[in-house]
Amino acid sequence: MAKLDPTIGRYVYLAIDGIEYRVYFEQNGAGIPLLCQHTAASDGRLWRHLLNDEEITRRFQVIVPDLPYHGKSLPPESIEWWRQEYKLTKKFFMEFQIELSRALGLERPVYMGCSMGGQLAIELAIERPDEFRAVIGLESGLSRARMAPTLDFHDHPRISNEFRMQSMYGKTAPGNPEKYRREIAWTYGQSAPPVSKGDLYYNFIDHNLTGGEAQRIDTSRIGVYLMTGEYDWGNSPDQTRILAEQIRGSKFVEMKGLGHFPMTENFPIFKSYLMPILNEIALNAKRRGQ
Amino acid sequence: MSLRFLDPSGTTRVRDAINSDPEFKLASRFFSKDILLIVGEAKCIVKLREGVVAEIKLNPTFMNPWSFFIKGSVETWRKFLQPMPPPFFTDLYGCISRQHFELGGDIEAAFAHYWALTRMLDVLRELENETAATSKPTEAS
Repeated sequence: MAKLDPTIGRYVYLAIDGIEYRVYFEQNGAGIPLLCQHTAASDGRLWRHLLNDEEITRRFQVIVPDLPYHGKSLPPESIEWWRQEYKLTKKFFMEFQIELSRALGLERPVYMGCSMGGQLAIELAIERPDEFRAVIGLESGLSRARMAPTLDFHDHPRISNEFRMQSMYGKTAPGNPEKYRREIAWTYGQSAPPVSKGDLYYNFIDHNLTGGEAQRIDTSRIGVYLMTGEYDWGNSPDQTRILAEQIRGSKFVEMKGLGHFPMTENFPIFKSYLMPILNEIALNAKRRGQ
Repeated sequence: MSLRFLDPSGTTRVRDAINSDPEFKLASRFFSKDILLIVGEAKCIVKLREGVVAEIKLNPTFMNPWSFFIKGSVETWRKFLQPMPPPFFTDLYGCISRQHFELGGDIEAAFAHYWALTRMLDVLRELENETAATSKPTEAS
């Protein structure tokens, strides 16, 4: 008898700005839809522990896409993508989540994203509060513009993916299982060279909430939860705290012993912080009869 | 107390520990650079040739060229070399990003050989925290 994983992977076709994308996603579970977005230059594998968690998938339909150009989601066939610089924009990134949600028939899913996905959680809460019932931002902040000068080293003919692997390994917290810290690095070694720089265009430049935009969020329409790892030097807990202070009604938790990739580097610790949030979301859904 | 990799009696041992590390051996291919490490007022140059640490030169002068440098205070290096460094002192890129360390010179080379470079620093951390009972005797140079 084969030992089968409960997670199922398949493809869905999405049209965004008139371009069709064949998008790979994995799913498991039933209940409140929980859309999980990976970090820059990695893919959905970062969420594999959550996808397979029985306690979560009993009440949540977990859906994990690979963004176009990432993982098993190839670049689109209808454009000559090799003639243009790959650049992830806020507009595309937001539309992607909404189109995916609509295509899969999800009813006001919970959105959870990490790093660039965590930044998008805030953008969605600001601009599309009616599409999601709650957002959970991991490693989110107002801006990471101070890192913009490093962009060129993320796509450089004399600097290989090894740099990306090791620099991301260095963003995990020491003391967490070495096998998972290395697994995160491995996924970073597998993205095409331009992807990191293109994703970081969103993360370092297009995402900028220093003008007080986050203060517009109405948490009576959309729940906002922020979680940041104690060891995340890229987006520290203090940076998230500043963001949280601007969003009335938001909830922030600092995750001790975790770094920039909490859901992968030590899932049991991450889960211990996540469950109270998921329980609250589930309770709110029950009260509202959703 | 000085850091172990700056101890004149231990440079051969430090060199051998780096060169015998299996991960460093994988990572250091094509690495031929001179790395200046600055710890407060103290300095050394780690000379790499074809992936092997050929020499660790203590107290270099202006007559000893280098490719790139990593500079930090004694306090920063001590935090960085702890077995469990505090948040934001855990790795090289984080320390540079948070301005605890300064990276200068040919930084393209530093990033091109980032795996080997960071593994070398990890070995220095392991040596720094080695107890007397587990450390091997210093070999004659």
